Amino acid sequence: MDDLEKLKVENEELKKVNAVRSDLISISAHQLRTSLSALKWILRMFADKDLGKITQEQEGFIEKALESNERMIVLVNDLLTLNHSDDASIPFNFKQVNIIGLLEETLFEFYGETHKKNIELIFIKPTTDIPLVRCDSEMIRVVMQNLIENSIKYSDQNDKVFVSLKYKAETNTIDISIHDTGIGIKQEDQDKIFNKFFRTRNAIEKDNIGSGLGLYTTKNIILRHKGKIWFESAPDSGTTFYVTLPIN
Amino acid sequence: MKKVLIVEDDAFLQGLEAGKLKKDNYEVVVASTGEEGMEKIHEPGIDLVLLDLILPKFDGFEILRKIKETENLKHIPVIVFSNLSEEKDIKRAESLGAADFMVKSNFTLDELVDHINKILK
Repeated sequence: MDDLEKLKVENEELKKVNAVRSDLISISAHQLRTSLSALKWILRMFADKDLGKITQEQEGFIEKALESNERMIVLVNDLLTLNHSDDASIPFNFKQVNIIGLLEETLFEFYGETHKKNIELIFIKPTTDIPLVRCDSEMIRVVMQNLIENSIKYSDQNDKVFVSLKYKAETNTIDISIHDTGIGIKQEDQDKIFNKFFRTRNAIEKDNIGSGLGLYTTKNIILRHKGKIWFESAPDSGTTFYVTLPIN
Repeated sequence: MKKVLIVEDDAFLQGLEAGKLKKDNYEVVVASTGEEGMEKIHEPGIDLVLLDLILPKFDGFEILRKIKETENLKHIPVIVFSNLSEEKDIKRAESLGAADFMVKSNFTLDELVDHINKILK
């Protein structure tokens, strides 16, 4: 067998292993979600006192249990998204996409969240026409959801979050930025922010529900689109994430 | 009183869903397998179907297809209530005519009832 043949065989083997891994994650996630749903519903019934009166101490424990349950649900959801974005055997569905429409839809989904925290989510739309972008709309939606969700999560009540989109003709790219005035990222954490399962201490203190998979997945998706992602941040003054996507 | 058919093979989840809906003044019919679901969709007066996807015998997609292909059933709204969430599953359910696709673990039972109320309004 020559080297090329050998590589082909090895590649096929790797693809099989990957497919098994991907299936395993998918099946376990489904099973985990079934148990997590049951727990969530029962705990909610206790917390809402549907099953009778509870003491204040019990109520406190149940709230903690609900929080743990929610954390597990978020982890399973994030693992599933990661599984999809990470698995090269699942091809992305590249199509011509109206990126402004996609962003507007995504922003709309956060209405409840921003309303709760009285955060103003401001979309600075381009003044000129924008070409359609060749991308996997569901995956880019995940990117936008992750970045906008973070900006809201790590902002304070009454803050503002700015999302802007521009077309740059010289590079034939779409440039998106998401700017918040939230807790920011400390210098020593900045090079770890895209690592799998990494969350900064500040982030955990601000909101302890989070898997540490969002930005890792986000970067994965952008790289599979041959785009770029980076950020500028300073503690207590906020963070701006930048995403560049090639049009084609 | 509106009548909801719950097709769910997990007995415990089925009990919780049915209990919640009854408490909120719905009449509930339950099915624990795909086969039972296929029979019970023909019960008179069903206003909405809450449908799990992974089921023994026939899966939820087949039940959904059957409902939407049957002249006197196709008007019944179907909410897919599953723990599957892959895009291909959501797209498939949508193209077969599901009114909504909800991932169980992402919703409380109160939120489920809100969705049902909205659809049956």
